Amino acid sequence: MNMDAFTPWLDALCGRIDGMVVACSDLAQRRSRIDLPSEELTTLLEAAKGEMGFVHLSAISCVDWIEEGEFELVYHLWSYEQNQLLSIHIRVARDLGRFQSVYDLYRPAGFFERDIHEMYGLYFEGAPDMEKFILTEWNGPPPMRKDFDSEAFVGETFDWQQYNPEWLQEIVAAGGGVVVPPTEQRFSQRKKVDGPDWSGDHPQAKRGQE
Amino acid sequence: MSRVFDELTNFARARSLFILHYCTGCGAIELPPVMTSRFDMERLGVSPMVTPRQADILLVTGYVSIKTLKRVMLTYEQMGSPKYVIGICSCTVNGGMYWQSYATAKRLDEYMPVDLYIAGCMPRPEAVISGLRELMKKIEQGEANSWKEYYRNYDYYLGNQQHLFGDQWQTPVDVIGEAEHYGLVGDGTRGEHTALLEQVQHPLKPLEMRL
Amino acid sequence: MRAENYQQINHPPSHAFELNFGPNHPGIEGNYALQVQVEGDTVVQARADGGYLHRGFEKLMEQRLWIQNIALVPRICVPDPSPMEVCYSMAVEQIAGIEVPERAQWIRVMQLELSRIAAHLFTFGGHAATTGMYSPMFWGVADRDLILDLFEEFTGGRIYSIYNLPGGVRRELPEGFLQRVTDTLDYIESRLPDYDDLFFKNRVFIKRAKGVGVTEQAMALEYGVTGPNLRAAGLPFDVRRDDPYLVYEQLEFEVPTEEAGDAWARTLVRRSELIESIRIVRQVVAALPDIGGPLRTPIPNPLAWRVPAGESYARVESSKGELAYYVVSDGSEKPWRVHVRGPSSMHAVQVLEELVKGGRIEDVAQTMFSLDACPPEVDR
Repeated sequence: MNMDAFTPWLDALCGRIDGMVVACSDLAQRRSRIDLPSEELTTLLEAAKGEMGFVHLSAISCVDWIEEGEFELVYHLWSYEQNQLLSIHIRVARDLGRFQSVYDLYRPAGFFERDIHEMYGLYFEGAPDMEKFILTEWNGPPPMRKDFDSEAFVGETFDWQQYNPEWLQEIVAAGGGVVVPPTEQRFSQRKKVDGPDWSGDHPQAKRGQE
Repeated sequence: MSRVFDELTNFARARSLFILHYCTGCGAIELPPVMTSRFDMERLGVSPMVTPRQADILLVTGYVSIKTLKRVMLTYEQMGSPKYVIGICSCTVNGGMYWQSYATAKRLDEYMPVDLYIAGCMPRPEAVISGLRELMKKIEQGEANSWKEYYRNYDYYLGNQQHLFGDQWQTPVDVIGEAEHYGLVGDGTRGEHTALLEQVQHPLKPLEMRL
Repeated sequence: MRAENYQQINHPPSHAFELNFGPNHPGIEGNYALQVQVEGDTVVQARADGGYLHRGFEKLMEQRLWIQNIALVPRICVPDPSPMEVCYSMAVEQIAGIEVPERAQWIRVMQLELSRIAAHLFTFGGHAATTGMYSPMFWGVADRDLILDLFEEFTGGRIYSIYNLPGGVRRELPEGFLQRVTDTLDYIESRLPDYDDLFFKNRVFIKRAKGVGVTEQAMALEYGVTGPNLRAAGLPFDVRRDDPYLVYEQLEFEVPTEEAGDAWARTLVRRSELIESIRIVRQVVAALPDIGGPLRTPIPNPLAWRVPAGESYARVESSKGELAYYVVSDGSEKPWRVHVRGPSSMHAVQVLEELVKGGRIEDVAQTMFSLDACPPEVDR
């Protein structure tokens, strides 16, 4: 197979699957993105694996869009024949909390779905193993959800060490603190570098300020 | 006479130290260089040891996640006295760069008494060696007594452990019994937390042997 | 008791019992555990137990600025930290549309390959130690230290270099550095025959490693194995060649493969890869003096830098396999989501469980080290 077969295949698939949108396809960069209604996922995965050789599931990423009340699942597929990466984006309702597993098609999904389950609380039906793997001794809510505030949790749970103890204050009062000045450090004989301008004149800096 | 004997014991203890081989965090990556030919800690009489029962030093190399901390506690209590704890990396001091993390414990000395910290992220092998020498000096002068603190203030440490691990937390080691054995029962050995422990503790049963 | 008599004794039926491999176990790489069910010496069932090194990186990164995360990412894989920061920088550059100057790209390649050499030497050491040979371990770690000295010189850190940032690299190479790189590589290459005698062609090692933990090509593909472990099963896939990034397209190197797919083949692939990496670094050293230009594209004030909304999936070949970052930005000062696809998360959990099954207890460590599993990547 060659790369030329890839784009016509994607176009033909658009006609076959309802609601499928090829959001962007950049074959030179080997990246393509497809947006899909969640119920069509298995159809597309079967076609991709069977017809185009997308046998390698690189990752399943989960993104929590809390304002829309949705989880976005991204399936990154790689084809060893086409040398193309296909990202399939679907959205699942956040409240429902369950979705179909793709373990039958892709074994690596077993790890990623297990991970998403404990980090986001999204249950995958049909996965062989939904037990906890990393957070076996964690009783709180799924921590990667946006509504879990880990800083507040840390503030409630842990105490901190004194950062300005008396012995240090004595040293600082006596004029101590820094032991070796930077000019005498070992690798300080550097050449002068055309460093970036940090003042913020760059166009992106202006965009950042807007 | 007994003082001479103590000095002799301390002298011998400081020169034959076994480090428990437990990599709790990323600082463990600097231990192989320390052990092997370039920095060679064996010339100080320090050597790795695989079982806690025969080890003298517990090196907590870096951040401890709560799951690891449980194992570290179990390991620490299994080690025979006298035992020494060294906290390597900034994370054992105050959480380090993971201070926001929900998964790591922040201050190691809330859960077990620490003899020595080696700060840095991560400390260089030279720093580890100099820390070990510092510990040897302390042992020789009879100052490395943190393990006695654990018996004297067991209630405080147990309380912090219960706070983190839940009220059901218990270990197979009878720390109060050991404290009585060593004659190290202090004011802080028993308290409300040990009372809670006695309530929830179920006695150890012998393991079922199936052959 | 003579052997034939031993056979005749009617043993009571043995029961499988459970054995905890790790987390505090010398045969386990890092802080990781395997619960193994054994019958006699044979492993019946195995279950990986991770999370001992979990720090919640992905949550932490959502709480910090784009530039602060550079300091965080190398900690995800301790033995091979450089690909992490390069990959994260690449992902951010893709979203923000920043072009990296050519000189920075070449320097990044050099950093990546030096890191790969160091990681492979470290793996050889650990792997040799599990077969009871401690001399290669001492050698491997000591030779890796020479690479770490180079890192210290040009990045400032022995292990965590934090040398990259979105847009390029932080500073110029010190004077005379390229000569020292050449010298170190010459030395490491001259050591390879010694390693061959002591380790790779050692009969003890070959007997221990051959036929242990076989991943056939179909199985490796099915389980999503990447990197040297996939190439040891005969499929020449390398992200550097098939999904090229930085300047790998301009470099000449081969993708070594082996057919057998066992622990021995995996080690041999790593050995060939080490040689290829040395070759790549030599090309970089030869090319760098002629490539001028700036070291980085300026980015705006990093403390208030808003990366435009978007997403990217950056992939890098680390010493363990395919490493990928999925980064989503919603246009604010902090990432909305960063997903790290650690290469070990495939072969350290499902594949490891599958491979140790049916083998013997003493081969568990052998299998784990030959897969080059890196627990902090799995736990994140």
